[in-house]
Amino acid sequence: MKQMLPPNAKISKEAKETMQECVSEFISFVTAEASDRCHKEKRKTVNGDDICWALGTLGFDDYAEPMRRYLHKYREVEGDRSASDGQNTRSSNFGTGDGQMLFDDMDRNNPSTSTRY
Amino acid sequence: MLVGGVSGRTGPHSLPLARIKRIMKRSSDDVRMISAEAPVVFSKACEHLIGVLVRRAWAAALRRKRRTLLKEDVAAAVANTDVFDFLVQVVQQQPK
Repeated sequence: MKQMLPPNAKISKEAKETMQECVSEFISFVTAEASDRCHKEKRKTVNGDDICWALGTLGFDDYAEPMRRYLHKYREVEGDRSASDGQNTRSSNFGTGDGQMLFDDMDRNNPSTSTRY
Repeated sequence: MLVGGVSGRTGPHSLPLARIKRIMKRSSDDVRMISAEAPVVFSKACEHLIGVLVRRAWAAALRRKRRTLLKEDVAAAVANTDVFDFLVQVVQQQPK
């Protein structure tokens, strides 16, 4: 959070807690929609496509397409990883530092999110 | 099944996957199984959400000539953004 603000900015504890609650609610909100779709299609597993679909349906249009691209790349990476089983040259931390280069493509296309203080 | 996600804390580019998965499971009785990729997608989506919320809340704080982000600034950001209507109740809840 702090990385998105100027160095002299402060965030109150209450504001941080509220942000966390907003994120939790976001996850619940989108998951419920995705899960509903799975249920109607008689599928048991909520997957990345369901999340992307739910994002689009709920009005998060700006998120849906970048997430689809991100998901596509994630699947490529994971596919490579399991294909080279035993070599394990790729880090398993897709969601952390090692995945950073895969995020950049999305951030480049979305200038509003690429600003970092 | 789960991707790495070693960091248990919110880092510059990831949120804890286990926590995301827990929230997903709580969200609905219909949720049974969750693929490994779903929390990963959410981790990225939540980063974007936080980015938008923080920037808008910060703009609200600056309008009020403050450099400390308060809950009311987050509430203002939510109120000013149509797609955040589902968060109106969250920001209105009184602290314990």
